[in-house]
This record gives sequence, structure tokens and C-alpha cells, in this order.
Amino acid sequence: MIDAALFSSALGALTPILFAALAGALCQRAGVFNISLEGTMLVGAFAGVAGSWYTGSVWLGVLIAVLTGTAYSLILAVGHVSFGGDAIVLGVAINLLAVGLTSFLIRTVFGTRGTFSDPALQGLDAVHLPLVRDIPFVGTVLSGHSVLVYLSWLAVVALAVLLYRHPWGLRLRGIGEREDAAASLGVSVTRYRYGVILAGGALCGLAGAQLALGNVTLFSENMTAGRGWIAVVAVMLGRALPYGVFAAAVLFGLAEAFGFRLQGVGLPQQATDAAPYVVTLLALFISSARIRRTREST
Amino acid sequence: MKTVAVTLLAALALGAILLAATGANPLEAYQAIVTGAFGPDGFQDTLAYAVPVVGMATALAIPLRAGMVNLGGEGQLVLGAISAIAVGLHVPGPLGLVAALVAGVLAGALYASIAAVCETRLGVPLLVTTLLLSYPAMSFAAYLVRFPMRDEGSSLPQSDQLPADVRFTELAPGLFLIAAVVVVYAVVDARTPAGFETRVTGWGPRFAQYAGIDRPALTVRLLACSGGLAGLVGAVVALGFPYRFIDGALITPQYTWIGLLAALLAAANPLGTLVAAVFFAALTSGGFAMERETQVPRELTAVLQAVLIIFLAAATGLLRKRRNPA
Amino acid sequence: MTQQQPESRAVALRGIVKRFPGVLANDHVDLTVAPGEIHALMGENGAGKSTLMSILYGLSHPDEGTIELDGRSVTFSSAAQAIDTGVGMVQQGFALFNSLTVTDNVVFGAEPTRFGLLDRRRSRAAVAELIERHGLRLRPGDKVGDLPVGVRQQVEILKLLYRRARVLILDEPTAVLTPAETDRLFDVLRGLAADGHTILFVSHKLHEVLALSDNVTVLRDGRVTLRTATADTDRAALAAAMTGRDVELDKIYPTGSPGDIVLSAQGLTVAGHGKPALDDVSLEVRAGEVVGVAGVAGNGQTELVAAIAGLRALDAGTVTVLGKDIGRLAVRERRAAGLAHIPEDRVETGSAQGAKLGDNLATGFQRRLARRGWLRPGRIRDHAREIVEKFGVRAANQDVPMRTLSGGNQQKAILGRELTHDAPVLLVEQPTRGVDIGAVVNIHRQLIEYRDAGHALLLVSAELSEIRALADRVLVMYEGRVVAELTKDEATYTALGLAMAGGAS
Repeated sequence: MIDAALFSSALGALTPILFAALAGALCQRAGVFNISLEGTMLVGAFAGVAGSWYTGSVWLGVLIAVLTGTAYSLILAVGHVSFGGDAIVLGVAINLLAVGLTSFLIRTVFGTRGTFSDPALQGLDAVHLPLVRDIPFVGTVLSGHSVLVYLSWLAVVALAVLLYRHPWGLRLRGIGEREDAAASLGVSVTRYRYGVILAGGALCGLAGAQLALGNVTLFSENMTAGRGWIAVVAVMLGRALPYGVFAAAVLFGLAEAFGFRLQGVGLPQQATDAAPYVVTLLALFISSARIRRTREST
Repeated sequence: MKTVAVTLLAALALGAILLAATGANPLEAYQAIVTGAFGPDGFQDTLAYAVPVVGMATALAIPLRAGMVNLGGEGQLVLGAISAIAVGLHVPGPLGLVAALVAGVLAGALYASIAAVCETRLGVPLLVTTLLLSYPAMSFAAYLVRFPMRDEGSSLPQSDQLPADVRFTELAPGLFLIAAVVVVYAVVDARTPAGFETRVTGWGPRFAQYAGIDRPALTVRLLACSGGLAGLVGAVVALGFPYRFIDGALITPQYTWIGLLAALLAAANPLGTLVAAVFFAALTSGGFAMERETQVPRELTAVLQAVLIIFLAAATGLLRKRRNPA
Repeated sequence: MTQQQPESRAVALRGIVKRFPGVLANDHVDLTVAPGEIHALMGENGAGKSTLMSILYGLSHPDEGTIELDGRSVTFSSAAQAIDTGVGMVQQGFALFNSLTVTDNVVFGAEPTRFGLLDRRRSRAAVAELIERHGLRLRPGDKVGDLPVGVRQQVEILKLLYRRARVLILDEPTAVLTPAETDRLFDVLRGLAADGHTILFVSHKLHEVLALSDNVTVLRDGRVTLRTATADTDRAALAAAMTGRDVELDKIYPTGSPGDIVLSAQGLTVAGHGKPALDDVSLEVRAGEVVGVAGVAGNGQTELVAAIAGLRALDAGTVTVLGKDIGRLAVRERRAAGLAHIPEDRVETGSAQGAKLGDNLATGFQRRLARRGWLRPGRIRDHAREIVEKFGVRAANQDVPMRTLSGGNQQKAILGRELTHDAPVLLVEQPTRGVDIGAVVNIHRQLIEYRDAGHALLLVSAELSEIRALADRVLVMYEGRVVAELTKDEATYTALGLAMAGGAS
């Protein structure tokens, strides 16, 4: 029951979450609590499908998803950073807006309700990695995913480099820790926060593109189904560290894939649907218990 | 008040642009919303929709008053509904009605308390525990109505119908129950030491601790009330038409999220929460009328709500900034 | 045209006017400082010192007036521009990133790079060179959060030097330093001045200004009330210029008549980072007695009060009030057993800034003000009015948010609320921090009256003059332990200063 295909499907399942979690981690580091990941991902998914459908090119679809995600995240940037609105209120409203907007648009643009799919809709092709694909087990796990899956791994590394090796990373970590101190050294808190929120929007756009053009090739109302929230939790579980967030996303992806597999042995889908959430909650218990212990011992 | 009016106008203007973009006449559409929501035909629908929204808004306002966010309203709502159905199907007569309501309250209260204890004992933030526990609850209910509690005569994932004497055939009893709860919340909030202590905690957690307020106990108590009320809302809805639990029927209308927004918008003030929730409910039910009369998809009202809140959040942020310049 | 030689003025602020809604924060203020000069800027809270310095540092813009640096007129629209022009400021309460190293803190915002990425080696070398040149006691690789407070101050100065600041503004820099650390800081500042740096020293401590500065400017209500060479003035003249009247400085109240032991703490221990924050501390306070706890901030005083008040769990030790063991009780139960507490942190712990004054005053009384379980707004209002009148809290009415009150009035409100509990034991932390000199006298008198009414007071203060004024007995804390116990007569500045630096017998 635990075989290469399990891990392979886990990788596909976790990619949207990973992208969104990286967005959340980036924002977190600069002191922005971003819970609008869910909605931004949903808008990205819609834009990806619409873009791919109208241009006939899946690549343009992905690009449009990224641009739309970035533009959509402007709401949070302007509302929170420029106007000083509460990030939680805005986040909840942005998520609700995404549901309303995409449901509205699926009717006005595609003239349908619920789900839009069409055999002519271009999805992302699987990439078969040369050499790697021939390695037993590893090949099955690592090869044959969409380009965005590999891009998400690169994004993890890129985030680590940005945070710890680039001046921008130092500055935004500083902003997250003490914004007044950063401002007093001439670092524009506003500009960096806009940067992380918009970059986060682009990442959520990629998350949506992978969800709607990679994992499946369709758009359905509310298809993110809580993945953006899981990303918020993954940021917390991974302490906003790039590799920590990656590990948290992998844990979640494995739990989802494993739960899916359990259906094969007769467990109802609803029981296994809950598995990832329960696993994540348990992981949080364990990690927060460990932190409490180390805090007490020092 | 002026802020609210200005942001409301701004949101309406944006909505008008959207409407015009889809080729509809904005004025006609808005008129349809208003008559749909408050006209003789639509008012009943508005009330019917307002009951769960006001209920959920109040449920989520209770912990929010102390600065605690319960994101697990959906799970508590669904558990309340399915528990009420489970009890209602087995306990006959008027007793069954009461037992079903009590079961709904208990289920929601217990489940929310678990999330509270996870924070107070295990140190995982409430925001996360409530949210994460919500999904298994929804899955559990979805499982129940597909297998053990399924209506054998239907292909849909839904439970059997409640017996005729365990039903709310009219709106009034549910409306009365929720209204009573809102009144109780308002009175407790303003006129009791417990309500005062909840507000103190909302003003500042450190101030509350310093003043001798036991935060862990308060957290569990408030979440129990919050979840209990969410469970009651679930029970009230389940006891009403169509007298059964249908998978997804409590989630799709977004009662919880709209309620949460109303509570957030009013800073959990009892009266403000009520007004905001009723307003949103009216907007939504007016949306159905608008769709009937102008062919504009009713989802537009959801867009309007969200836009209004975004504007309001930004405007209050701006006011705060002006008041205490950095 | 003959201009004054520009090199004689490093900084010249002329006719600065700054208005806030309802307040004239700076009213045609002039300030000139020569290169290599140490210039003190004095004034009470709200006198306009901070506003003036934030204008010079580019954090806010004057409504009128000009700023000249080295004879050239400048306008700053941000702190970044001020830094570029050679003006740097050390803010009150540090602006440091505790999780980052000394090097990262210093280069932050102006990092050396290599191929676009951080060049760690060059950063480190640059910082090490500056440390060396100015004789600071720092290591580039240390994490700032692990450094003692006095050393963090040096990181702040290093940040300015790295940015080649010629004009250094220091806002109340000694508030958290030991006397020895203060001396060391003054040596560093004198060295920098000798090196041609211009130093603006913002302070309200009379003796420090007299010890360090060349010239002094005093502000009151946004206007300059005194501008003089330091050598030509004295404490009384400075205090009079700050307050606008003669102030009885350094009044020392006579000792009270202590009765039975009311508060007793034995072997209190609280874990900290690495070493204990509180290490086996024992003390007793009698009825009608003020026990002062002196020490440099961060030596366990905060933890001591927090442990007694129940805000921090004890790892070992017992606390009794009137013979009742309260060491394991919740805050509410401790208060019921006879504790009241005026906390150090007025803004977040002692009050709710966004809530009404009246509600702030009712907090803690909500159960007592209730009748048969019901709270009546009328009773809350009466309760608040009594405190406001008795303690002279100045506010438009009791429905205004706490934050609209001045610091001194907020403190009076908190003091009034806690004294109204009439609890046998009062824990008082920094009762006059950020409070005007005029109000200080008033608060001191209230505390002494409370003592003379037979209450036990445990007073924590960083101001030695306050400890000397009020305390009947003084405990000195150093690194989590009580290192000295002095009677009122023994507690001279010298003896206290020595003990605070850990040098007691």
C-alpha cells in the first residue's frame, strides 16, 4: 500500500499547498499575517483556466494566473499596509470575495454553474525527467509531474536564499521582528510589505494554476476547498522557515495521499478526507509541546 | 456612522460598475435587491436567511468580544445539526423537539471546548485548533448521511426526514430562539461581571491577566457558549424545512463566514453584530430577487458584501492611523 | 555679504514650529550646536524635545522653520535622508533586532554585497574595524538578544558610526544603564566629540546633563526657556526652567513606623535565559513600611514583582500575605488575599488604552460593584468619579479613551484605582516614570500617606532619588539576587551605585 505511486501522488497534491505556504511564510517573515491565501489561490485557479481557454495556450494561462494572483493580492496590500486595516478582517473578506467573484464570473464568462471543463481546455503536461525516470522507485516518485511541481521545489530554495543570503531577506526579517527599528534605518516598511504581499499573490497564482491546470484540468466553484487554510497552518507548523514549511507541506500531502489510499481498503472517503487535518493538528501538538519543553528548560 | 455611509456608497458604486459591465441596469438591479429583501414577497425569505446568519454572527461574536477568533463555526454548526437530527429521529413528540435542540447545543459546545482546551493545555493557537477541527466534523457528518444515517429511498447524501411532530413547520420558533439568544448576549455583555471581564480581555490580554482574569477558564467558557450557539443554529435549521440533514446544505450558503464578517465588522458589539448580520442577510436574499428579475447572477451580492467589508476595514484602519499618528 | 562662518555650526534649527491637533508641540524653537560640542536638550514630558528631535531626524516635518547642517539648508522627508546627510539618532528604548547578530544589526539597510548577495566577510570586517577604532566592548558575531542592556547601547552607537553620522542624537540613553555603564557611555561620547562628532543629548536627569554637556537648551510647553553654557547653571535653575516654578528637589520623607510583617517572600526563584532571572530572593515588608528595590533594569526586579503578583510562575519559593500562602494561587485569588499592584508597563499591563477611563477604573472592581450579580452603569460611574476627584485625574470626562490622557494622568488613574482597593500590600513599579516633575511630588505624597495608613509597600524604581525619597529600607538587586540591604541612612548614591553594579560586600 505504501509504494512509489503513493509518494508521487503526494507530491502532486502538496504543490498548491506548498506554493501558498511559501507565500504565507514570506509574508509572515515581514510581519504580515496573510490568511487570504485561500481566496487568492481560488482566483488564480480561475484566471489560469480562463487564460488557458481563451488564449489556447496553457503557458499563457499560467502567466495570467500569476498576474491575476498578484493583482488580487493588491487588495490586501493597499487595505492593510497603506490603510492600516486589520489583516484578519481583510483576509476573511478577500476569501469571501474570491468565492463570490469566481462564482459570478463562471456564470457570466463561461455561462455555466458549478464546474467548467472542456476537452479542449489545455492543461499542464507531465514532464518526464531524463535519466531520473529510469531509476526504480525514485523515478516513479520524482518524474512525471508538471513543470510547476518542480518550480515549487525551486521556490523553496529560492526563498531560503532570499531570506538568508540576500539583503532583501535580511531587511524583511528585520521588518518582521521590529518594524520601527527597520524604518529608523531608512528601510521602507511599506515597500517591503507590498513586495511580500504581491510576491505572495504571484505564488498563490501558481498554486491556483497547478490546482486547476496541473492536478486536474477544470475549474469548479470553491475548488481550493481549504487548501489555503492548510497553507496558513503549514506556515505555523514550519515556523515560517522555508524548509520547515516544505516539510509541513510534505506531511500534509502524504497524509492526503495516504488517506486516499486507505479508501482502497474500504474506509469511506469522508473518514480519510479528515486525515490530513488530524495529522496536521497532531503535528502541531507535538511541535508546540516540544517548544514549551525547551522554553522551560532554558 | 459617516464612515459606514461613505463606504457603503463606494461599495454600491463599484457594484454598479460591475452590473453595468454585465449589461444590466444598476438601478433596476439595486431596486430588485431592495424590494426582494424587504418587499412583501421577499421579507419572509430575508428573515429565514437572517436567522442562521444572525445566530452564527452572535456565536462568533461571543469569543471575539474577548479577542478570540473561532474559525471553526462550520464544524460546530454541522455537528449541531446532525446531532439534532440523530436525536430527533429517535425521540418522538414535543420531547423530541427539545431533546434535539439540547443535543445540538451540547454537540457544538463540546466540540468547541475541545478546541479551547487544545489552546489552553497544549498551546496551539485557538485560531488554528478551531479551524482544523472544523474539517473532520464536516467529514464526519458527510459520512453519517452517506452510510449509517442515510435516507435509503434517495440517491442524495441526506438523512431521513424527521417525524412530523419533531419539526419547526414555521419560522417563528427558530426566530424567537435566536432573538432570545441575542438579547441574552446583549444583557450579559453590558450588565454582568462576566460580560465585563470578557470585554476587559478583549481590550488587552495582559491587562486582563494583571487584573486577575483567568484566561484559560474564560477561553473554555466562551468557546463552549460560542460552539453551543453554533450548534443551536444547526439544530434550528435542521428542524426546519426540509426537516432533514443534507450534506453541504449548511456550508454552501456561507452562514458561518458571513456571520464572522458581521461580528468582525461590529467588533463583536451585540447590537452592531445583529444589525450587520441582518443587513448581509437582506443583501443575500435580495440577490435571489435580483437574479429572477434582471438575470444578473446573485453571486454579485456576495461580491458586494465582501467589497463593503474590505472598504470598511480599510476606512477604520485609516481612521485609527489618523488618530494615533506614528 | 557676511555670513557667520558655517563651520561654527554643525546644526542650526531656526524658528521650528510644529502643531498637532490641539497642541503646539514646538513654538518657534531655535537650537544651534557647534561641531565637537555635546549639547543637552532638556524638558519634561510633552515639552517638545522628542518632536524637535524627530524633526531634525526626518521622522516628521516642521510646519515652519528651517534646518541647517554645516551651514547648508536641508529638508528631510525621511530618516533615510537624514542618515545620508550625516544625522543619526539612538531612540529611547532600543531599536535593535534581538534575533540578529551585532554585525547584521549594524549593516542593516546598507549591507555590503557580492554578486548581489550579502557579503558576510566584508560586513564583519567593517564592523570589527569600527569597534576597534572607538574602543567599544563588542564582538561582531554575538547575537544582540544575548547581550547585556548596557552593551546594546553601544550597538546603537555603532549603527550610527557605520553610517558615518557626524551628528548623533541620543534620546534618554542612560535610562537603562548602571552608573558604571553610564560613565563608560559618557567616555565614549566624549571621545566621539573630541573626534569632531556633534552630540545632542536628550535627558531629564539633571546631574547627567551637568556632568556631560557643554551647553544646554531647556524646553517647556514647546518653547525654549533656557539656553546657556552648562558651566553657568545648576540643578535648581535647570529644574525651574523645565517646570516654570521652583520645585522641591530631592525631598526625602522621614521613615515610617513599621508594624507586623504583612508580605513575606522566601527563596523565590524564577528561571530565565541561561541563568535564573530570580535566584533565591527573600524579603519581608511590614505594615507601614516602604521597602525599596533598587537595581539596574533587567536584574530581576520585574520578575520579582511578577512572581509575587502571580503574573509569572514560581520555580521555587513561597509568598505569604498576612500569613496566608499565596505562592501558587491565581492572580485573582492573590488580589483577594490582599495585593494591589501598580505595574511598570502602564500602556499594556496597567490599563486598556482603547477603553474608556471609567471602565479602566472599574476593572478589578467588577464583582464588588455588582448588586445581586448585576452591574449597574450608575455604580461604575460613581466609582470612577470618586477616583478621578480624589486623585486629581485630569480628563474631559470618564467616557474618553484612556489613551487620550497624558502619561501623568494615566498614572494617577492607575494609582488611584489600585490604592482604592485598600489592600494591605501594594506592589509599586516605577511609579513616576514618564511623569512630570510636578506630578512626581504629588504621587510620592500619596504613596507615603498610604504607607502611613498602615499599608505595606514594595517599591521598585530605577530612579535612585525616588528610592532615597520613599524607601524606609532598600534592597539592591543584581543578576537576580539581593546583593545588599541598606537602611535609609546607609542608602547614599555611592552605596547604591556600588551595589547596583554588583560590587557590594
